[in-house]
Amino acid sequence: MSSGPKPEVVAAGLAEVLAAAGLHSPLVTIDGVASAGATRKTLFLTVQVGGDSGGETIAAVAQISSNNVLLGASMSVEDEAKLVDLAELAGVPVAAVLGASNDNESVGGPVVITRRIDGPTIPRHVLRLLEATPGLGDTLIGQCGAALAQLHRSGVDGVPESLPQLDADRPAAAYADQLGRTLDGIVDPHPVLRYGIRWLGQNLPSAPPSPAIVHGDFRNGNLIVNDTGLGAVLDWELAHVGDPMEDLAYLCLRTWRFGNDHLPAGGFGTIEALREAYVTAGGLWRDDAFHWWMTARTNWWGIGLAFQARNFTEGATASIVHAASGRRVVELEYDLLSLIESGA
Amino acid sequence: MIDRPDAPALLEAMAATLADAVVPACEGPPQHAARVVANLCRILAREFEHGVAATEQTTSDLRLLLGSDAGLSELVVELERRLESGGEVDPMDDDQLFSVLKANVDRRLAVAKPSYIQDVGPTTS
Repeated sequence: MSSGPKPEVVAAGLAEVLAAAGLHSPLVTIDGVASAGATRKTLFLTVQVGGDSGGETIAAVAQISSNNVLLGASMSVEDEAKLVDLAELAGVPVAAVLGASNDNESVGGPVVITRRIDGPTIPRHVLRLLEATPGLGDTLIGQCGAALAQLHRSGVDGVPESLPQLDADRPAAAYADQLGRTLDGIVDPHPVLRYGIRWLGQNLPSAPPSPAIVHGDFRNGNLIVNDTGLGAVLDWELAHVGDPMEDLAYLCLRTWRFGNDHLPAGGFGTIEALREAYVTAGGLWRDDAFHWWMTARTNWWGIGLAFQARNFTEGATASIVHAASGRRVVELEYDLLSLIESGA
Repeated sequence: MIDRPDAPALLEAMAATLADAVVPACEGPPQHAARVVANLCRILAREFEHGVAATEQTTSDLRLLLGSDAGLSELVVELERRLESGGEVDPMDDDQLFSVLKANVDRRLAVAKPSYIQDVGPTTS
């Protein structure tokens, strides 16, 4: 576990961030560390508004970034907070943002503070809850389709300036180019991933009628799920403007089914149910783009795992999990070739 | 002259010890790490059994595909170079190329995660 600023220093810094966002004399207590991932640390907080004079008590969560090392995260957390506000306005269930700061020194990294919403996010816990609750998986896939349609229909007016944008006329081609450049950053050759990028460039899908806000990481693991279904959509740091079909395809990658392969949409629904919910809520479903983006994002995660392994072999991390990622690349390569075969 | 248990047997025993004794006794990140190490032991056990033959087969496939007698590392670099050119430099027969890649992936997956091959494919709805 990394040493970092002392908890009382972090708590004081978080209170400053909340005060700057307009909360009156907030007092912050850190209740615990929910997770300490490679790039983000999540803290549970209790915020007493109005200090000792006894205003509202808010259960909150702080997400503190250490660095954005993996594959193109480039938006500031302040802009990420603005984007979450836009998504909420569009009707997407989110954890409402209480404050955000790129540069509060006491906190030790860029931070976003949101309201806490009950429910698991760990994929296997989510799948266990869904198995134990008849009908909840059907409800959840319907809510996911509807939430994505609402996000994608909201347009791109007013999006933060630092939100990455794929070329509006040719988002798929721009993405394939981006994958090639990312793979160039790994010294070891990966011919299967390189072949995938070539296939992507040669089999571009139809362009979307208009660009949309794309969440970019919409999957089990980034969703709070409770007994009424979708509690909140989290982790917006990979959001960008691009092809809305990317989000729908990404949710259906085999890697995010966590072994529940009989339910290809997220491990908890059918693709037909996802499609129906999306279209009913006003989204436009394009089959060719769905298949293309499944192939592209499978390739992307293969590169992501290869990057983790590279960081181990080059000594940038001693994480056994990242070392093991090197032996998972082949799973994504298998999926990639299966997708290419079925789309050829 | 020959020590027993051999490497695959030891690796299987290490995996079983981690999975049966260590994983249940811890929680959180250490538990996850123990699970990952147990899995890596099983991968290495399979690699001891099948790794050499798989590498030889891939080398043979690539020599045919690329028309070269080089060693595996050089062959992979050469394949990457041709693919990077988008198929314009020394183009390869696409069906043959796909078959070679697919066979290589199947062999590596048989070491890394054999159950993945039998499972449902990525596009089944």
